[in-house]
Amino acid sequence: MIDYFVHISILFSIYAILSLSLNLVVGYAGLVSVAQAAFYGIGAYTTAILTATLGFNFFISVIVGILVAAILGFLAGLVFSKFRGDYYVLATLAFNVIIHSIFINWYDLTHGPLGIPGVLKPNLFGLSFSPNLLFFILSLLFLVAVYGVSRFIAQSSFGRALKAIREDESALKVFGYKTSVFKLSVFVASASLAAVAGSLFASYLTFVDPSTFLLTESIFILSIIILGGLGNLKGSLLGAFILVLLPELLRFVGLPDGIAAQIRQALYGLILIVLMLYRPQGLMGEYKL
Amino acid sequence: MNIVPQLIINSLIAGSIYSLVALGFNLIYGATRFFNLAHGIMAASGGYVVFFGVKTLGWNLYISIILSVFVVGCIGYLLDRFIYKPLRRKKSSNMVMLVASLGVFSTIQALLAILFSTQFHSLRAISPEQTFNLFGGIITQTQIIIILVSLISTISLHLFLSRTRFGKAVKAVSDDEEVSRIVGINTDRIIGATFFIGSSIAALAGILVGLDTGIEPTIGMSLLLKGVVAAIIGGIGNIFGGTLGAFLLGFVENFSVWKISSDWKEAITFTLLVSFLIFRPQGLMNKRK
Amino acid sequence: MIILETKNLRKHFDGVYAVDDLSIRIEKGEITSIIGPNGSGKTTLINALSGMLDIDGGLVVIEESEKLSKIKPHRVASFGLTRTFQNIRLFEQMTALDNILVVVTDRRVFKAVFETHQILHLKKAEEVLTRVGLWEKRDQLAVNLSYGQRKLLEIARALAMDAKIYLLDEPFAGLSPEMVKVISGIIRELKTQSKTVVLIEHDMGLIRELSDYVFVMDSGKLLAEGQPEEVLQKREVIEAYLGD
Repeated sequence: MIDYFVHISILFSIYAILSLSLNLVVGYAGLVSVAQAAFYGIGAYTTAILTATLGFNFFISVIVGILVAAILGFLAGLVFSKFRGDYYVLATLAFNVIIHSIFINWYDLTHGPLGIPGVLKPNLFGLSFSPNLLFFILSLLFLVAVYGVSRFIAQSSFGRALKAIREDESALKVFGYKTSVFKLSVFVASASLAAVAGSLFASYLTFVDPSTFLLTESIFILSIIILGGLGNLKGSLLGAFILVLLPELLRFVGLPDGIAAQIRQALYGLILIVLMLYRPQGLMGEYKL
Repeated sequence: MNIVPQLIINSLIAGSIYSLVALGFNLIYGATRFFNLAHGIMAASGGYVVFFGVKTLGWNLYISIILSVFVVGCIGYLLDRFIYKPLRRKKSSNMVMLVASLGVFSTIQALLAILFSTQFHSLRAISPEQTFNLFGGIITQTQIIIILVSLISTISLHLFLSRTRFGKAVKAVSDDEEVSRIVGINTDRIIGATFFIGSSIAALAGILVGLDTGIEPTIGMSLLLKGVVAAIIGGIGNIFGGTLGAFLLGFVENFSVWKISSDWKEAITFTLLVSFLIFRPQGLMNKRK
Repeated sequence: MIILETKNLRKHFDGVYAVDDLSIRIEKGEITSIIGPNGSGKTTLINALSGMLDIDGGLVVIEESEKLSKIKPHRVASFGLTRTFQNIRLFEQMTALDNILVVVTDRRVFKAVFETHQILHLKKAEEVLTRVGLWEKRDQLAVNLSYGQRKLLEIARALAMDAKIYLLDEPFAGLSPEMVKVISGIIRELKTQSKTVVLIEHDMGLIRELSDYVFVMDSGKLLAEGQPEEVLQKREVIEAYLGD
C-alpha cells in the first residue's frame, strides 16, 4: 500500500514539474503551446541515452537534458515567436509531431519504437536512489526546486512583463519592450524545466519509448494547468494532484488496466470541454483564456 | 520499374484524401473562424461506424457508408449545438474554442479506442478489389474511387456554395457573422449545417482510408494534421486552396520519400507547414491581410 | 526646435488613404492639438507615429535628426515618445499598480528577472498614481476600474514613461468635469516641465484653453493650421465639421 502511495507521489511530482513549466508559457505569457511533451521526451531520451548507453551519471544527464531542451527550445521558439495566437498553437503542434517522429524514426539514436531499456537510477556519491522511497524524496526535491524557480520568475519584473504581453502585446511594445525576446526566453525556460521532468520519468521507469511523448500528452498537461488555473502556480500543483489521482481512483473501481489509459484520456478531454464552457479560469486561476 | 508514374498515382491518392479532410476543415473555419482540431476524429469515426456496421451488424457495405456519413454529420452538428454554439454565445475567444476542440478530440479518440480497441482494423476485405495498370503504375479500384469521390465532392461543394441560396448564406456568414445576423440570416443554423456537411465529408475521408488501408484511433490525428497543413498552405478558408494545398502536400510527401526514407514523412509535412507559416502565412490562394 | 515632424506622410488601407501627404511640424515644449471630423485620420496618424501601423510613404523626423520611414514599435520609447489610446488599452487582468510598474521596470530580460530596484520603481509608481488620484485603487484590477479611472490610469502609465513627447488620443472623452480638470492640470504641468504634448481632441473649449497650436485634418489631409482662435473660425474648418 505504501508502495502504491509512493508510486503515485512520484508521478505527481513529475507532472507537477511539467505543469509548472507549461504554466509559465500559457498562464503567464498567454501562449497556448502543445509542445511540452516534446521537451519532456527530449529530457527523457537524453537521460536514457546518456545513462543506459553511455553509463553517465543521472545528474549529469539532467544537466545535459536541460541544455539540449534549451537549445531546441530556443531554435523552435525563434520560429514560433513570429506567430500569433491560434497559429502559434499549430506551430507547437507541428513541433511536437516532428520531435515524436524523430524519437520513432532515428533508430540509431533512440532504438525507435523499441525504446531504450536499462536507464540508470540516480546515484550521488555512492548513494543510490533506487528504492522508490528515496526516489520519491529526490523527485520531491526537484519539484521544490522547480517551484522555487518558477515562482521567482513569475514574481519578478520579467513575470509582470509576461502578463502584460498576455494582456496586450502590441500595446506593450510601444512602451519599449522587445516582446519576442521575452516570449522566447520564457519558452526556453519552460522547455528546460520540462526536460527535468523527462529525466526523472526515464530514470523512474528505467525505460523510455516514443509512445509516451505524443500530442495527447501535451494536451493532458495543458488540461492540468487549465484545471488548476492559468497564471497560478499553486493551481498547477492542485491540477496535477487531481488529474494524476483521478485515474488511479478508477483502478479501485475495478476498471481493467487495458482501458485505464483511455478512460483517463476521455476524462481529461471532458474536463477540458467542461472547463471551457463553465469555468475557463479553472479552480484557482486569475486568468481566463 | 519506373517509379515516377507510381509516385504520381500515390500523390494523387494522398492528395485526394487530404483534400477531403481540408474541405470540411475549411468550411467550418470559414463559418466560425476557429481551428476545429477535432475535425480529424470525425474522419476516424466515419471509418469506425462503417466497420461497426459491416463487421458487427453484418450490414451491406454501401448502406453502412451512407449511414456513417449521416451519423458522423449528426455528431458534428451536435458538437456544435452543445459545445461550440454556447461558447460563441459567450463571445469566447478562438483560443477557447480551439482548446475545447482539443478536449473533444481527446474524448472521442479515447471512446473509439475503448469501443473498438487500439488495434488496426482493415476494411480492405470488404472493399472492391481490382487493380489496374496506369502508365506503368498500379492503382486499385478503391483508389480510383478515392480520387473520383474527392473530385466530385469538391466540385459539388463548390457548386453548392456558389449556386444555392443556402450556400450563399454560408459565404455571407464566413465573410461577416455579425452583419449576416443583422440582415436576418440564422447564423447558428448555418454554422450547424457547416458542421454537419464538414463532418460528413471528413467521414468520407476516413471511410475511404479504411477501405484502402485500414483504421486505428490515431489516424484521426494524422488525417487532421494533413488536412490542416493542406488548408493552411492552400489558403485557410478557401475551398479550392484546400484542394490545391492537399495535392501539393501529397506530391511533396511522396516525391520526397523517393529520396528520403518514408519514416520522415511527418517531419517533412511539418517542415512544409512551418515554412509556409513563416514565408507565406496566408497560403497560396489568399491575399495577405 | 521642431521636436516632431512628418514629411508627406502617407498611410493607406486597401487603397483608401487614411493619412494623405501630411506634413506637420510640432514645436518642442508646446501643446499642439490635432482636430478634425471623425475619420479624418487623426488616430491613424498617432498609430503610425507610435509604430503600430506601417508607414506607406513619407518620413517622420524626430528632434530634427532622426529621419524615419519605418518605425519599429519597441523603439518608439527610445525616441522619447509615448502615448495613450483612444479606446483604452490597459493590461486588463493586472492591477493598476502593475500596469504602472511594468512600464517602469527594466526592459532587458536578465535585469527583469533579477530585479534590484524594486523600491525605486515603487516610488515612481506611487508618484504617478497619486498624481492622477489612483493610489488607493492600486490593487484593483484595471478591468474593474470605472471608465474615468481607466482613462486616468492610461495617463498615469504615459506619465511614468518620463517621455519627451506625449501623444494623447482623446484623453478627455467621456470624463466628468473633475477628471477633466485633473487631466488638463497634468497637461499644463507637462508644459511647464518643457515636455511636448500632442493632443487629439473634439472639445473646442478645451482646445482653445490648452493649445498653443492647432492642426486640422480632413480625409487624411491637412486642412488648416495655426493659432486656435484663428483656425477655429476659418470657414473651411467649420464646414468640414458641419459636413460630417
